[in-house]
Amino acid sequence: MAAYQLLIIGGGLSGIAAGIRAARFGLKTLILEQHNLPGGLNSYYLRQGRLLETGLHAMTNFAPPGAKKAPLNRLFRQLHLSRRQFEAHEQLGSEVRFAGRTLRFTNDIAMLEEAIACEFPEAIDQFRRLRLTIAAYDPFAAVPWRSARRFLAEHLRHPLLADMLLLPLMIYGNAEEHDMDLGQFVIMFRAIFEEGLFRPGGTMREFLDLLVQRFRDFGGELRYRCPVASIETDGGRVQGVRLESGEELTADAVLSTVGIPETMRLSGWEGDCARYAGRMSFMETISFIPRASAPSFAPRRTIVFYHNAPRLDYQRPDDYLDPSWGVICFPDNFSGLVPEDTVQVRVTNAASYPLWQGLAAEIYGPVKERWTQAAIAASEEIVGNYRPSIVYQDSFTPVTIERFTRKAQGAVYGSGIKIRDGATPWSNLFIAGTDQGYLGIVGAMLSGITIVNQHILR
Amino acid sequence: MSRDEIKDVLLEIIADIDEEADFASLDADAPLRDQLDLDSMDFLDIVMELRKRYKLQIPEEEYPQLATLTSCVNYLVPKLQQA
Repeated sequence: MAAYQLLIIGGGLSGIAAGIRAARFGLKTLILEQHNLPGGLNSYYLRQGRLLETGLHAMTNFAPPGAKKAPLNRLFRQLHLSRRQFEAHEQLGSEVRFAGRTLRFTNDIAMLEEAIACEFPEAIDQFRRLRLTIAAYDPFAAVPWRSARRFLAEHLRHPLLADMLLLPLMIYGNAEEHDMDLGQFVIMFRAIFEEGLFRPGGTMREFLDLLVQRFRDFGGELRYRCPVASIETDGGRVQGVRLESGEELTADAVLSTVGIPETMRLSGWEGDCARYAGRMSFMETISFIPRASAPSFAPRRTIVFYHNAPRLDYQRPDDYLDPSWGVICFPDNFSGLVPEDTVQVRVTNAASYPLWQGLAAEIYGPVKERWTQAAIAASEEIVGNYRPSIVYQDSFTPVTIERFTRKAQGAVYGSGIKIRDGATPWSNLFIAGTDQGYLGIVGAMLSGITIVNQHILR
Repeated sequence: MSRDEIKDVLLEIIADIDEEADFASLDADAPLRDQLDLDSMDFLDIVMELRKRYKLQIPEEEYPQLATLTSCVNYLVPKLQQA
């Protein structure tokens, strides 16, 4: 008999959610996390007494308690968490600033409609029809890849507005460069524009603690600092895993959340690993500013998606960083938060993994500093000056992301090619998380749930 | 277990799955899914919970027999005789 019924590689959101499902129904389940904290791509770290979140700008798919069919609330039911007791702070309002034009949106899509009617009156009727088409589209049907760009060109016939709508949706969940799968576009359109953005009360730490506690309450085991060295296979089946410490653990089934390339490496899965390496990675630049001296920039804005050039260029940059487009997030600008003494500005820009990875150790620091300053300067062009007020600043690059999350090339959205059903060449090894294809915090958790429901609980 | 006991267990399981569940106007002979707004994932949880509690394997092709509260009870009575 195997030591565990289910072994989960990775204590990120998909892994923990998968673990909760399995443990809830009595399966002996172990999550193996290489890091000393849970969360994976959406985690946190501590510096000088400050807690810095990674990944999280906002959660998508806002829904009030009681909306039973909403993905967020289905997620809570599946994890046996009370939605009524969960504190969700909605965004105050966000905007897309694109080549001098601005669209503001909130969690009430009527605001976006109004903004479009104002800014692009010639396109408002088409946008309203577009919404109906999106509402009727089934993004989960198994259909071949379709171009979201072509779909928008046909339905909107307004290239600038199409690009402005695509920018936040791509930044929040597109692994591919240049274009996006239509199904993924529909999922993201609903998640961000129809449902909206919020953050949990407290920090990512409290949210992760809640999930880990639920997993443990159901009898699940979680081990930190346990990097997996290999997935042990025998014929058509997986036997378990071997840890870097040399320890071997047997299991009836293994669920890998570390992405396709890393799963290939661990299991000896034959195939072209490079084909599955995602190209989109980002550098994150986090600044703390005293509330008292926080300038009046972007008042009551939660997230500003900006793009300086007239055509959307969603791709890995040729340089270390591309500060000409990105995301500026104000994590303090959600409704109902207790004001902190300092407020944060987080800037996220596309970054080139190979360039960062190729840097010699002694110049990595200075290069990071140079691009941090470039990112701050670019964001100041959009929201106003804040550099002189910064009391604490930290940044992380695609190399950091890869090291802590094992996502090949720091590709936060994983491979451009997804494995929707989670199947691998081994009948009891499954993929969940980023490379299964549901993205973002809510998506990642639904991914873990879906794969366990389909393959483990049946 | 008696019919009433089985019914109570079912309602308890559903209440545990869904904090919004409201049984005040539940019609025992009408589909549970429509009345309680349950989806297939919630439905799987009812099946899983029965499996966990009573080691009861319910094959997928028999799920339709769990459509209403009454049909659930009818289906479970012979299976939970000894429980």
